[in-house]
This record gives sequence, structure tokens and C-alpha cells, in this order.
Amino acid sequence: MSARWFARRCLFIGYTLLVVSLLVFAITQALPADAAVTLLGENATPAALAALRLKLGLNDPVWLQYWHWLSALLRGDFGISMRTGQPVGPMMFSALARSLLVAGLALALMLAVAVPLGLVAALRRGGPLDLAAGLISYLGVSLPEFVTGTVLLLLLADHLHWLPATGYVPLLRNPLDSLRHLVLPVLTVSLVMVAHVSRMVRSEMIDVLHSDYVRAARLKGLPARTVLFRHALRNALLPVITVVALDVGYLLGGIIVVEEIFAIPGIGRELIVAIEMRDLPAIQAGALIMAGTYAVANFLADIAYALLDRRIRYD
Amino acid sequence: MIELLRQLARTPQGAAGLLILLLLAAACAFGPAIAPYGPEHIDFLGRFHPPGARHWFGADQLGRDVLSRLLTGARSTVPTALAATLAGTLLGAVIGTASAYLGGRWDEIIMRTIDAVMAIPGLLLALLVVNTLGKGEMNAAIAIAAAFAPGMARITRSVALVARRQDYVGAAIARGERGTWIVFREMLPNVVAPIVVETTIRVAFAVMLFATLSFLGLGAQPPASDWGLMVADARPFLHQAPWMIVAPGAAIALTAIGFNLLGDGLRDVLNPRDER
Amino acid sequence: MSALLDIAGYSLDYRTRAGTLRVLDAVNLRIARGEVLGLVGESGSGKSSLAWAIMRHLPGNAHEAGGAILLDGADLLRMRPREVAALRGRRIGMVFQDPSTALNPTLTLGRQISETLAHHRGMTRAQAWQASLEALRHVELRDPEALMRRYPHEVSGGEKQRVVIATAFAARPELIIFDEPTTALDVITGARILALFQRLRAETGVGGLYISHDLALVSQVADRIAVIRRGQIVEQAAARSLFVSPGAEYTKALIEAVPRPERRLVADLPGTQVLVSVEEIGVTYGRRQWFGRRQVAGNRGISLSVHAGEILGVVGESGSGKSTLARALTGLTPFEGTIVQGGRRITAPAQMDRAYRSQVQIVFQHPDSSLNPRQRIGEILARPLRLFGGSPAEVPRLLEQVRLPASYATRFPHELSGGEKQRVAIARASAARPALIICDEITAALDVSVQRAVVDLLLALRREHGTAYLFITHDLNLVRQVAHRLAVMHRGALVDLLAVDAVGGAQAHPYTRALLGATPAPFA
Repeated sequence: MSARWFARRCLFIGYTLLVVSLLVFAITQALPADAAVTLLGENATPAALAALRLKLGLNDPVWLQYWHWLSALLRGDFGISMRTGQPVGPMMFSALARSLLVAGLALALMLAVAVPLGLVAALRRGGPLDLAAGLISYLGVSLPEFVTGTVLLLLLADHLHWLPATGYVPLLRNPLDSLRHLVLPVLTVSLVMVAHVSRMVRSEMIDVLHSDYVRAARLKGLPARTVLFRHALRNALLPVITVVALDVGYLLGGIIVVEEIFAIPGIGRELIVAIEMRDLPAIQAGALIMAGTYAVANFLADIAYALLDRRIRYD
Repeated sequence: MIELLRQLARTPQGAAGLLILLLLAAACAFGPAIAPYGPEHIDFLGRFHPPGARHWFGADQLGRDVLSRLLTGARSTVPTALAATLAGTLLGAVIGTASAYLGGRWDEIIMRTIDAVMAIPGLLLALLVVNTLGKGEMNAAIAIAAAFAPGMARITRSVALVARRQDYVGAAIARGERGTWIVFREMLPNVVAPIVVETTIRVAFAVMLFATLSFLGLGAQPPASDWGLMVADARPFLHQAPWMIVAPGAAIALTAIGFNLLGDGLRDVLNPRDER
Repeated sequence: MSALLDIAGYSLDYRTRAGTLRVLDAVNLRIARGEVLGLVGESGSGKSSLAWAIMRHLPGNAHEAGGAILLDGADLLRMRPREVAALRGRRIGMVFQDPSTALNPTLTLGRQISETLAHHRGMTRAQAWQASLEALRHVELRDPEALMRRYPHEVSGGEKQRVVIATAFAARPELIIFDEPTTALDVITGARILALFQRLRAETGVGGLYISHDLALVSQVADRIAVIRRGQIVEQAAARSLFVSPGAEYTKALIEAVPRPERRLVADLPGTQVLVSVEEIGVTYGRRQWFGRRQVAGNRGISLSVHAGEILGVVGESGSGKSTLARALTGLTPFEGTIVQGGRRITAPAQMDRAYRSQVQIVFQHPDSSLNPRQRIGEILARPLRLFGGSPAEVPRLLEQVRLPASYATRFPHELSGGEKQRVAIARASAARPALIICDEITAALDVSVQRAVVDLLLALRREHGTAYLFITHDLNLVRQVAHRLAVMHRGALVDLLAVDAVGGAQAHPYTRALLGATPAPFA
């Protein structure tokens, strides 16, 4: 991994954020709502509206508005929420922290389940366990989060009363209760990814088990366990890193739904609220922060891959 | 085409997928005709009627028959998802092919931009688009198409680049074929198969995404009986009438499973040499 | 003397959807201690299946139909998995065809050799590391300390194969199976690996089963040779006597098909008229990037000309730029310099018009990718006819010309064998009766007997139409049979251009002589 490669990746993150900011700005600018009307209400006097438009720079040409917004962004200023009157930056980042807790737990749970599942399915290819895993993963990728979430809620919280239905408790205030509240949302978002990633691990593992070097390792007389874990699993998991990173995009989408269902004040819920309220700065900040999270996750995955697989030549 | 269907019916996934999709097609075509009740037929005395002989899948908070609403809703859910996927595929295919064809610096710029756009989660992009265009079925479809286009562009490009490298394309260039012949006669037939497979599987995603948008209140609007909307409507009554959620949820899952199975079946049939 | 390995009446079936397929049929083979037995056969003959059977590494659908494989009197077929595991690597070693896939890409070379030693010789990690250093030094690798810390992709193919060989020998096995150990390597590297094998064999007295498709090569390394065809041992004899007086018809045909440079297949001389000449051709492969571009030279300043009816052989190792030259000549890659044809000077692919295309055609190496899988053979052949002013009605004639039945016109490429596909590719290239056909390694993917038939076909076409060939190959023996002149390429440059009988002469370039020296010559 050369400095040049690193510089390229950083440049790419910058480019990604630039494109995302342009896109988000373009989409939100096309919003039919007049920000001034949203702020002051339908009954505001034309004079007051005009004054506010001037103050917000709404009369400037679009590119100038973009430039003002972007340069403020670069200074870390995401704008003021039209809904709460508070700066959106801190609001969105603290929401992001809550979302990342859900996402992190979901990723961990997913890996803990998907990797062994895919491994066993590959080793017992065509066996009953493989078929069962296959069926489950079909179901997993075919159920949208709002269905699984609601059904889980119905079953585990409403029917069996094992878990609290909705709500969020900060981790530091009461760790146990906090985690109890997180079980359902985490379970919901990880299900789709378990289905996807376990299939991926399975097919990669099957490929690797058929590779020449695994055969060579076997025929060198190495113990089966060494062949499996040192030679096969490691190489089968490498491409999975990339897939998991790409799945982060899916995860972030899933989190929007899950936060809505389970009433978690994360970034997804903030976004939905902002969209409903047409709170422009909040929408822009939320979308940008989500995309940034995704880009950073992929950047980290690239670094992990590079460290684990020296074959990649970074030029 | 007939031959393809016959081969498809021979693979287990293909046969199961075809069966499910035939049922769905029947629901879309004849749904309102075979539904036992009108979808908006309100019966206050039969509110929250549990599943049984009178209402196979139960009745909702207004006493409307869930099965009838499902059958009617198929018409709004499935074709919309299908159309959105096709539009997204087409847009993506054009961008991907152009990028592969232009090559060099343009290819890199287009692909980097596509990567950047893909940093916005699909659902979020769809939310933003739908919010701008306004709520509604049509706009949700446009949003889904927009969310799918970048991914399809990536796939089309990589498939096209593989086709471009084949020696038979080299042979065509060496005998002086025109660009259009090479693209349409030599490359395209070999590019279509993997894209068809990918598109089929994406319809499953589109069904789910469309339902999700409706669920979040941004897709189809009440009193439509779109499946996602039915789930959203049912949430306050989770406790009293779980069937109101289970039935549309199962319908969505079944549709998605059907398209996923069909996609896997197509993959097997279209690549006969891949033994795995 | 008791045999080290005794294969007695061994039969093996594969159960497929189409039915049971017999891959090995009552095979009898014996390898004495310290003896090397060569096993020669074409693809699909079952030679690799035999290796997997000995290593007890058969696919799930394999069914052993009878017989025994005895190692030092003990039947491998009756061994439990635990006993088999104790045998692999320790008593029977294996050297694989392609060292770049036989080594784990994400582990250092040192780790891969020392883990084997640690396991088989019961050493600690540190001891195994030291022993590995010693083993690598023994296979003439320079600077083993540094090498041990490298990953497979960081070293050359020859070095990788030396590591594989060192690993196989380090556990001091009694028998080593060599599965085409030089096929994936360049000629010169392969020759050095072969020399290494001879030395190690003499030092250790190990027994060997040397599997190859290349009779000429096996005749150099094996004491005895067994010829296998469709799962049956056709003949086995001492290496020399097999070559001098083959018994079986198949062996005779196989030996006949082995290219021998002294047996010329072309007697006439080429014309004097220059068909195509290239002047100072250069090709750079570069990937444009956001920061500048990296450039790799594919060809540098190449000048040569092809005369009417001439067969100009182009030889060189992989990466020497042979194929790049072919791609430049057919406009598949941008180039610098000039191509002169029919009095016209062409400096860019865009200037290659129909007249040029109809005169210069190409046949590619891989039969699988050179025919569009979604077009019927008839469509594939009709296209150049239509393009260059012929009629699709001539398709049967084209097929007949390449010795294929006219009924093949309705078939799809995947219904044809590799050799048949290559014939179709030749028919397509010759449809417009071009003056020059560029043959880019067209026999490399084919078995020797098929290879010979394809070469015969090319020569017949030449007799009929006077076609000239630019015959690109890595097989020096083959090209010396047919070419009038040889162009020798090395690292993108043309190092030698000489008449074919001057190859061994004093005026030949040192690289040409090195290439010649490394090419295995069959027994005369």
C-alpha cells in the first residue's frame, strides 16, 4: 500500500462527497416548497417573506447558493434547522452516533452468524443444512425490513413479551436496558445481510476449496484443519470484506426503516422527519452524512483488504 | 422463447419461480374480477373479522376483506415494480455501454461518478427523489428507476468490457466490420444474458423498495390497496389483527421470492457451461 | 526387486448425468525404486485422473471399479483417511502444473514451505524455517532469506516452481508425481527446472511418475515411458526404444505428430514480392489515470517484411510482444510506425480499409473465445464472404476446404471440439483468400495430433492459394518444420531475423541460441 494509493483513495472520497453534495443540493433545490413559506407559515406578509428570502439568499442564482452552502459545509457549518432553529450539524451527528450503534451491532451479529453458516453450507454442500441455509437466505433477501421488523415486533414483543417493543435508551444510562431495546432493530436489519453474506461466503468458499492451492495444500499432507482455516477460509473471506462494505449502503437504508418502526432517534428517523417537514438544511446534512459514512466504510474496507491481500497492486 | 421457458421449467428454481409468477400474473390480470368483495367495500359490523370462511385472510379495521385488497393491490404493486426496474435497467445499460465504449479517461470519470452516486443508499436516493417529485405511485417508480440506474450501469459496463475483450470481437474488427455491427451483432447477444438475470433479481428488490416507500407514506396513497401501504395501515392494529400485517407481508415476500428464484433459474439456463 | 509403486488392473469410473464414464481401464503400471516413469497422453486420456487416484484425491462422482494401487506392497485403496493423510506429502510428493495457482496467494513462500516441513518432520517453527532456507538454497534459489518473506505474486514463475519442488523434496518422499511441471513455464525456465529435477533425482534417488503431453520432453527425463489413451495403457517401454521402435499404432501416430525440426514440411521457396512490411512499429500499453499514465512497452521499433507465399515464424517467450505485433498488424491496437501494403503506407488502424482487411487476416490462439457462442457456424462463415464480395452459398466449400462436413453449418460453436473450432476460425480467415494470414499461437491450445492436422491444413491452403503466414508460436521445434525465416522476439524487441537453417549457426543472436538450447529435442 503506497502513499500514492492512499492519496488516490482520499481524493476519491473527496470526489464522492462533492458529487453527493451536488446531487443532494440539486434534488433538494428542486423541492416545490418555498423555504421562506415553510419557515414563516402560509399567513406571513409578502414583505416578511421577501426579507427572509433575501436573508437566506434564496434570490441568488442557484450556483451561488450552492457555493455558499458548500463553503459553509467546508467550515463545518451544516446550516440551521428550519424546524428546530438549532444547528443541524450537531443534531445529525448525535443522531448518527445512535444509528452507528445499531449498525455496528447489526454488522457484528451478521458476521457472527453469516460466516459460520456459509462455511458449513459450503462444506456440507447439497446436504440438508446447505438446503436449509439456502431456503432461509431466500426468505431473508425477499423480506423487506418493514415486514420482518413488524413481524418480529408482533412475535417477540407483543405476543411473547420477551422484549420491549419500541423506544431507545442511551447505552451509557442503562446498558442492559439499552441493549434490550436494541435487540429487535438489530435483528431486523441484520437478517437481510445474513442471507446475502452467508450465500457469498458459501460460494467463495466453494470456489476456494476447488482452487489449485487448496488442493496443493491437501496433497502436501497438511492436516485438514490447517488447510481449512489457514489456506481456505482466509482467502474465501477476502472478497467478503468488499461485499460487506457495499452492504453498508443497504444497511443504512434498512436503518431508516427500522428506526421508523422501533422509534429510535437515529439519523434515519431525523431524515424522515426532515423530509416530512421539508426541513431543507436537515435533509441536505443527513443525506451527506449518510453518504459520507458509506464512503468511509468502503475506504476502511479497502485498507483492510490491502493489508490482508498483498496481491493488489495499487498504482 | 418457448424453448427457454421449457428449459427454465426443468430447473427446480426456475419451475418454482415460474409457478409463483404465473399466480401473480393471474392476480394482476383477474384480481379484481375474482376478488370475493370490492377492495373498498366497508363493513363496520365485520371489523377485525379473523381469517375464516367469510374472510379467508380476515378483515381490516374498516371491515374490508384483506384477500380482496391483496388481489386488487397486486395490480398496483407488481407492474409498477417491473416498470421501474426496466426503466432503471435501460438507463443504466445506456450509461454503462457508453462508458465501456468511450473507454479511457471518460470511462474513468463516468465510473467514479457512478461510484460516488452509489454512496447514497438506494432507499435514501429514492426518498429524496420521491420527496422532490411529490408522493405517489408514478413518482415512486421514477425514484426506484433512479436508484437502480447506477448499479445497472456498473454491471452493464463490466459485462460489456468482458465481451469486448473476446477474440471474436477482435476477428470482427480485423475483417473491418462497422461499429454498429460489432456492438449489435457480436457483443449485444452475449451481454444480454447476464443483464437479464440481474434485472430479474432486481425486480424482487424493486417490489420491496416500492412497498417500503409506500410503507413510509411516500408511495401509493390511501385508500389504495398497495401492499406496503396495507402493512403501514395495519400497524396501529398489530395487537388486535395480526393477519392484517401477515397477509400483505407474505404477498411481498412471495413475489420477491418468485423473482429471485426465476433469476437463479435463468442464470442456470443461460450459462449451460457453468456447472455450479 | 519389489516395486515402489504397483498399479494392478486399476479401473476408475466417473458417474455423470450422461451416464458412467470409464476414465481408467485396467491400468497396469510399475515404478521401481529410483525409477522415473513417464506417462504420456493427450488431454482427456486419463493421465491426471491416475495421479489423483494415487494421491487419493478423487472427485465425489468417482467410482473405483477394481484393481489395486500398491505403495511398497500396501494397497492405497484400502487405507483409512488417517493413513492416507500420513502418506501425502511425506511418502508421495507432488509437483503441480502451474506454480502460480498451486501456491496460496496470501501466504508468504516461507510460511508455505515451512508449514509442510514442520508437519512432516515434526520440527518446531524455528527449525522448520531453518530447514526451509536450506531446502530453498538446495534448489539453487538466490537469497532464500528474502524469498521466504515474499508472496507468490512477487516472484517469477520459475522461482515459484522451484519453491514447489523444494517443498516436495524437503519431506524426503519415496515417490514424487510430476504433473506437467514445465508446461506453464517459458522454454528457457522450463529447461532449467528440468535440469534441477535431474540433479535432485540423482542426489535423492527418488522414484517418479512424470506426467506430460509432450513426448519429446518426457523422453529426456524418464527411464521408461507409458503411453495412455482413453484410459488404457497402449504401450510401455524404455524411453529410447519406444521412440526408435514403437509397437502400437497410436504410439507411432503420436511420435509422427511430434514436431521434429529436421523434418521439413515445406519444400518450396517463397516469392520475392513483398506482401506486407512493417517499419519501426512500436506499441505502448498504458492505462490512463488521474495522475499521469503508466506505460508498458509492448513492441519497440520492429521492422520486418513478409514475402508472397512465405511462412515467417515469430518466436519468443510469453510477454515478448509476439501477439502485440499481430494485434498491431490487424489494427486491434494503436501503434506507432508504418505498415506498408500494396504500395500504401498505413500509420493508424483507422487507415486499414477493406482492401487491406481482405488481404491480411488473423486466427487467434483460443478456439473457445474466437467464435461467437451465439452464432451458428454457417453465420460465422457467411459474414466475411458477404463482406468481401463472396456469396454465402460458398459456406459448404469453405467447410470442405478445412475438412469439415457441410452439415456443421447449422451447429453452434460449443458443439465442436477445440480442433474443429480452430478449423472454423481458419476457414473464416481464409474466406476472402487473403494474401497473409496471421496465426497467433493457433496450435498452443491443441493436442499434438490435432496440432499436426491443423498445420497440415494450413500448408494445404497455402498450396492451393499461395497464402503467406505470419506464424507466431513458442514452439521452436514446430516452427522450424514449416517456416522459411524466423523472427525472434525478446522483451518487445526484434532481436534476430534469420533464415530457418541459420538458427543454430554462429551468426545467430545469443538469445536465439539460448532458446534453441532450451528446446527439448526428441530422439532422432
